[in-house]
Amino acid sequence: MKLEVRKIPENEPEMVEVRYHWITDEIQEIISFVKSRQGQLSATRDGKRFEVPVVDLFYAESVDDRLFLYTAADSYEIRLKLYELEDLLRNKSFLRISKSMIVNLMKIASVRPALNGRFSAILKNGEEIIISRKYVPALKQVLKGGDS
Amino acid sequence: MMAGQKLKELLIRAFRLYTLLVTLITVLMIILGNLLDRDRVFSYEAFFSPLLYALIGTAAAMVTRSDREPSVRNLIVRKIASLLLIEGAMILLALNSDSIPTEKSWVIPGLVLGVLAVFVLSHLILFLIDRKEAGKISTDLARYQEKQMSGSNL
Repeated sequence: MKLEVRKIPENEPEMVEVRYHWITDEIQEIISFVKSRQGQLSATRDGKRFEVPVVDLFYAESVDDRLFLYTAADSYEIRLKLYELEDLLRNKSFLRISKSMIVNLMKIASVRPALNGRFSAILKNGEEIIISRKYVPALKQVLKGGDS
Repeated sequence: MMAGQKLKELLIRAFRLYTLLVTLITVLMIILGNLLDRDRVFSYEAFFSPLLYALIGTAAAMVTRSDREPSVRNLIVRKIASLLLIEGAMILLALNSDSIPTEKSWVIPGLVLGVLAVFVLSHLILFLIDRKEAGKISTDLARYQEKQMSGSNL
């Protein structure tokens, strides 16, 4: 794939143009990356494509090598790996809370103890998800002002 | 997460459990001793008993713990295994100790019940500590969200 990076005058708008023959995984990954930088994620639901605003995302969960995004009421599938999404959402208030899940810290209503040193996060839509104990120190660090 | 931080968390949990067990075992020995064997006289070595018993309890809890996230069923099985391990170790220790009158009929059942009481109480207290910690996390979280919201409005 040919890559062209060109400096333009300041009065012209900056833009990324993707020219393709077919939407391959590679092309989709590039599009997803650019959209995530703009605050949106390209995902599918019932075979239809949707642009999901990152701010609406509650959490993302990897299930059987497939990655699902959850908003207040809907779920979508996204063609990324969990670690790739984690990288995309770094510094956007998202944090890994278990081996298979990252959560939007802005969507947690409260935290309460679960069993065996784990904690449950009660989300603002009433859903409850488990924070694994090995990720609790990282959560505390972020809340105290460390990097997310 | 860094291995050092993980080890630090593990040591904090182990130390917290150990000190809690020392306290509970000491209290239990005072109560049971006063109720059942008031006239017994011990040497200064008796002060080591709670430290040793708590070490056994902490070791059993650490041996049966795992980095994998257990299901609720697995967790209950693991806790029962941990309790049985502690009960077994304490009975063995009692049978081999000259200072514990295992020939008296109430001693072994009393020990088993006492260990069970300490086990339940220690878990209850640890849960209450976790609840306090969860409250602190919730407060920090609300502060974090407020800060992020005000930052995004700049």
